[in-house]
Amino acid sequence: MSFQDLYKIESPAAPHKPKNWWVYVIILLVCFVNFMPYLWIVMTGLMDREAATASTPTWFFKPTFEAFHFLIVEKGIMYNFMNSTIVAVASTFFSVVIGMFCAYALARYDFTGRDDVSFWVLTNRMMPPVAILLPIFITFQTLKLLDTRLGLIILYTAMQLPFVVWMLTGYFRDIPKRYEESAMVDGDTWFQAFRKVTLPLMMPSITATSIFVMILSWNEFAFATFLTSIEAKTMPPSIMAYSIGASIQWNILGAAVILITAPLVLFVLIMQRQLISGLSQGVVKE
Amino acid sequence: MAEIRIDNLLKKFGEFVAVEDVNITVEDGEFVFLLGPSGCGKTTTLRMLAGLEMPTDGRISIGSRNVTFLRPRYRNVGMVFQDYGLYRHMTVFGNIAYPLKVRGMPKADIEAKVTDVAKTMQITEVLQRKPDQLSGGQLQRVAIARMLVRDADVFLMDEPMSHLDAQLRGHMRAELRHLQKEIGVTTLFVTHDQLEAMTMADRIIVMKDGQMLQFATPREIFERPATEFVATFVGEPQMNVFDCRIRRSDSGYFASCDGFDVPLDTAWVDTSGGAALLDRTLRLGVRPEHISVSETQDAKHPIKAKLFAFEPTGAENLYVMDCGGVQLTTRTSTNETAHFDKTEGTDYAIGFDPGWLYLFDSNTGKTLAFGSQSDTGNTEA
Repeated sequence: MSFQDLYKIESPAAPHKPKNWWVYVIILLVCFVNFMPYLWIVMTGLMDREAATASTPTWFFKPTFEAFHFLIVEKGIMYNFMNSTIVAVASTFFSVVIGMFCAYALARYDFTGRDDVSFWVLTNRMMPPVAILLPIFITFQTLKLLDTRLGLIILYTAMQLPFVVWMLTGYFRDIPKRYEESAMVDGDTWFQAFRKVTLPLMMPSITATSIFVMILSWNEFAFATFLTSIEAKTMPPSIMAYSIGASIQWNILGAAVILITAPLVLFVLIMQRQLISGLSQGVVKE
Repeated sequence: MAEIRIDNLLKKFGEFVAVEDVNITVEDGEFVFLLGPSGCGKTTTLRMLAGLEMPTDGRISIGSRNVTFLRPRYRNVGMVFQDYGLYRHMTVFGNIAYPLKVRGMPKADIEAKVTDVAKTMQITEVLQRKPDQLSGGQLQRVAIARMLVRDADVFLMDEPMSHLDAQLRGHMRAELRHLQKEIGVTTLFVTHDQLEAMTMADRIIVMKDGQMLQFATPREIFERPATEFVATFVGEPQMNVFDCRIRRSDSGYFASCDGFDVPLDTAWVDTSGGAALLDRTLRLGVRPEHISVSETQDAKHPIKAKLFAFEPTGAENLYVMDCGGVQLTTRTSTNETAHFDKTEGTDYAIGFDPGWLYLFDSNTGKTLAFGSQSDTGNTEA
């Protein structure tokens, strides 16, 4: 094409807006792949023993709470449920509160070795938990923390701290310092400015971080298995018991899965607005 | 309401000296501007006054109170930040009421004061909105209202108009000047816009590289600048400054520049140093409005020039002239030069007003001689 030919080309008509029907097909496909297994396990949990172990799976059956009855009344799984709740809530609370101040310091103050501290915090997160299982076990044994809720709370708080610090540091950096400065000139102390100006602005991010930490603590399996036996046993290791052995009772396993996942599903459903707005903080600028 | 005294202020960030040797006394009720290019330490000085930055050395007092290392909340200063610093999770009312609430003022009193200030700033109808629903001009008003609502001793403003568009800025200038005089609270205003400073200030502090160059009234800054930097920083278009050597001939003194000579007033040279100025490389300065342009060379327009560029600005025209390699900007009224040929390269003749020439030391930049017709008020600093 010569240079002169270039001038013969005119702008085409405005492109018509394509209807992206295939987007919905993909969404449906993704939903199916994601929800089918969960739907199946929920159904299994509501089956009786016979239907659950039948060789030909059925879609229609008479729902029963037989498996739940077994777990809750005979096995007393609600005690583990309570342990899980206490440990998850307490460790979330402590790690977020402590982590918030650490993150604030990292975001706001310029001190020697600040970058090293940030990097070290991040690398803590990279270590596989199993690598330190044994030293932790011995430490807990010495401190008489084995099989106590307090032990798990301390451990989970320490484990989640790097994540909290790492997430919140970025969010704190996005909040301009002038808000606090303005409040301090207006007559606030540093802490008042932090509490009344910075924290309300940080709330969505803190909520989102808390949800993540809560989920991680609730689901934690490795340490819970090795460090607890009866008193402080949480949900993941107790459910583990029903998924091993020669004859797995599928309906009981299904019921157990419902019990461990239901709180999380409900929790995230209720908090989903805060979760999304928190995660998109800093991305969407006003 | 109070006067401000700053003595030997010094601020270092590590090894970097941000502010050095600042000495200021601002009278009660004065509207003083800190003017300078970005990074000159003007904002740091203001932040030290607010208590957001602690000085390395020196003393700051507001009223008769030493506040040098006092925390911000005890200083009783009001401040407007560059991007306003409004709390986006509170309504406009909440924002303005915040400083009063912090001080534990009763609710009814807060309500009355906020409404009062909102009326002054004409923002009564947006009191229940959130900051992100306001326009730039409204945000500006809210920020100022929040500063006004307190009975602060001193108001500090850190480039509060830099985010407004040019038209609104012009409007706010007059309004702010009027408001400051009406309320009568000592105000310190930081800006890099010389026009803002010139139009609103009682007095201007010009800063550069952490140093205070001059502290004087706008007129004095304009007519008797302390250094070449001040002379070129203030005024638009800026002062023409170029190298020259002063020589003496039978008919008197003249400044020999690259390509042309400028006759000088004998009395002026004699009072400004006389023989001491001779045969040194100096810098000669003349403002665009003090160069007259003519189509023909005569006694008043002895210097030949070629038109380099023509810039009409409405009521006035800027002719940028090329005189043997030196470019000179001239400013003349449109009416007087309507018949001029505006083609680039046209021959012209220009002449300098001998009463408005400046001489600067080429090493230190200090002014050696002011225009003989300039206001001879006392120069401070």
